[in-house]
Amino acid sequence: MNRPLAWIAALALVAALPWIDLLLPPYWRLGGDVGPILELAIAALGLNLLVGNAGLLNLGSAAFVAVGAYAFSILTTVVYPFQIGFAGGAIGAMAVSALVGAVIAAPTLRLRGDYLAIVTLGFGEIAKDLVTNLDVITSGAEGLTLEPASGARAWLWPYYLALAILAVLVVALTNLDRSRFGRALAAVREDELAASASGVPARRAKLWAFLGCAALCGLYGALYANRLRFSGLPTNYDFQLSLVILSAVILGGMGSIPGVIIGAFIIGGLNSIVLAKVGDLLVRLGLPNDSNSLASPTNWKFLIFGLCLILMMRFRPGGLVPARRVAPAPRASGDGGAHGAA
Amino acid sequence: MALLEVDALTVRFGGLTAVDRVGFSVDEGQIVSLIGPNGAGKTTLFNAVTAVHPASSGRVRFAGQDLRAPLSFGAMARILLMALGVGALVQVCSDIEGLWQVAVVDRFDYGQQAWAVRDAWHAAVRHLRAQGPWPALVGGMVGAAAAFNAWRTGRLQPLRARRLGIARTFQNIRLFSELSVIDNVLVGLAGAPYGPLAALLRLPRWRRGETAMRIRARDLLAFVGLERFADVPAGGLPYGHQRRLEIARALAGDPRLLLLDEPAAGMNPAEGADLIELIRAIRARGVTVLLIEHHMNVVMGISDRVVVLDHGVRIAEGDPKTVSCDPKVIEAYLGKEEA
Repeated sequence: MNRPLAWIAALALVAALPWIDLLLPPYWRLGGDVGPILELAIAALGLNLLVGNAGLLNLGSAAFVAVGAYAFSILTTVVYPFQIGFAGGAIGAMAVSALVGAVIAAPTLRLRGDYLAIVTLGFGEIAKDLVTNLDVITSGAEGLTLEPASGARAWLWPYYLALAILAVLVVALTNLDRSRFGRALAAVREDELAASASGVPARRAKLWAFLGCAALCGLYGALYANRLRFSGLPTNYDFQLSLVILSAVILGGMGSIPGVIIGAFIIGGLNSIVLAKVGDLLVRLGLPNDSNSLASPTNWKFLIFGLCLILMMRFRPGGLVPARRVAPAPRASGDGGAHGAA
Repeated sequence: MALLEVDALTVRFGGLTAVDRVGFSVDEGQIVSLIGPNGAGKTTLFNAVTAVHPASSGRVRFAGQDLRAPLSFGAMARILLMALGVGALVQVCSDIEGLWQVAVVDRFDYGQQAWAVRDAWHAAVRHLRAQGPWPALVGGMVGAAAAFNAWRTGRLQPLRARRLGIARTFQNIRLFSELSVIDNVLVGLAGAPYGPLAALLRLPRWRRGETAMRIRARDLLAFVGLERFADVPAGGLPYGHQRRLEIARALAGDPRLLLLDEPAAGMNPAEGADLIELIRAIRARGVTVLLIEHHMNVVMGISDRVVVLDHGVRIAEGDPKTVSCDPKVIEAYLGKEEA
């Protein structure tokens, strides 16, 4: 299989989607539903840097999304004097998220496995409460509103923005995987003591992976706030969001870039497209939708995610697209699947 | 001059003294064997020399330098920076809402007033001054203490030993088993031929650096006889090959001293003979070798000197012949003759 060609085909398909959409009957139109999935894929790639590459479990990625969304909102809203526009806001959001990540990571990265997971889980809860309670800055439970976008197809700009960022990220992260930095992270994941004894600065490698994860989750927050024109409510950034991002990574295949993106499409697509369409269908068929919360398929999603993860762990523990740990050597002319392994 | 000097080294685990005031030295260019019955403390000694376990007392010097990192200028700067950073963070965060109120909200008033960075800065500084210095002082002290503690625990690390020039293999093989054979060697390779930017953007520097690294890694694989297996996962190699791969990975960092922990374990006599050749070739590259070994034909075949440990104590030292005739050594291995 020719990998670069597959990537380009996927990119072209997703880029053409808003225009294919116009040809479909209204019920089947996806409208702005694919954009959020592209954004989710960005966060999932960030988390993958930590979970897949460095082998560290982070259960609090929603906290970094919250920090990014609020930092972006503060930097761009008319309520505050900064109003530095999208690019400045997004870079600022990544920087603030990475800074918060450094404050969290510096004292906790000696912890391993379960302990780090618990610390990040706790941090996720703390961040949500902090955002709620710093209401002079964040408007507390109301959230910060940004200037609304106008136009029926206003979602096109965030859509192509997310797609472009995702494309750049795929290239950059693939490159990173095939460099000494990617190998150092893999070595730390496989055996930290042997990695240190082989000259890998393990703690620094883990710190950078953590900062990368925090920055990309912050970027996801910025894109999310930019699309909604709203910082989101503090309750949007709860443990469920961390789980959605983590599920995308695990379902797709830890450490595998195409896998993580496919995982994000499955999890995000199930969440915002399939279940929503099924719900619409049930309403059309005249089934009750308000009396019983279980009657709405969108409320089944965690049941389905949980089931997916259990089935994955049982039948395909490497994920849908398991990571190719044995990377092909770089060639003098381009690169690619020189060894034919998928 | 001695390359490695171990002086009165003691390692205790709770009440158990695994290594008891052991001293010996290894001269540059020698092959020295460390032998002794099981549980004599050989691997613990290796772990202390490579900073995997801290020694309880005594010291290790390598090429004239202490294994513990000294309090360098950089380390002091890091502690100072951490103190300043945490102090500033605590000072700002101790009343961040009040700070935000005076610097941003009051001065902007939802667009009613023109907001100037300079005014906001002055207002913020005034507010921070009014808080008094205590948050910054407490934060600074906590930051300095944390940074000092990080330095203190970090001054003795496997990475430090590696950077001084001590490489090792492990008794229970510790390869990166999911990575390919060549990637294992590449991880251990010394030097940084390209930076993160070159890696992310695939600049020509990355390609040149990567090509050069791969040539060196392949040379090392050829040296230990594994070049045919470069692209298979390391975990799939047979046991003897895994031991050789660990040696290649250790050599990749251009060490001056190589510590081999039971390199011949699980090998048949023919493989043992090959190993002797390999160790001799390593010495010919200018690398000093210290090894733990139970196979006496290997030990007697290559060692310039032998150090014998028993119950954590050094009981004999000398050339292979002398040591093998030493009554104390015979007693340690075979037990005392009944009278």
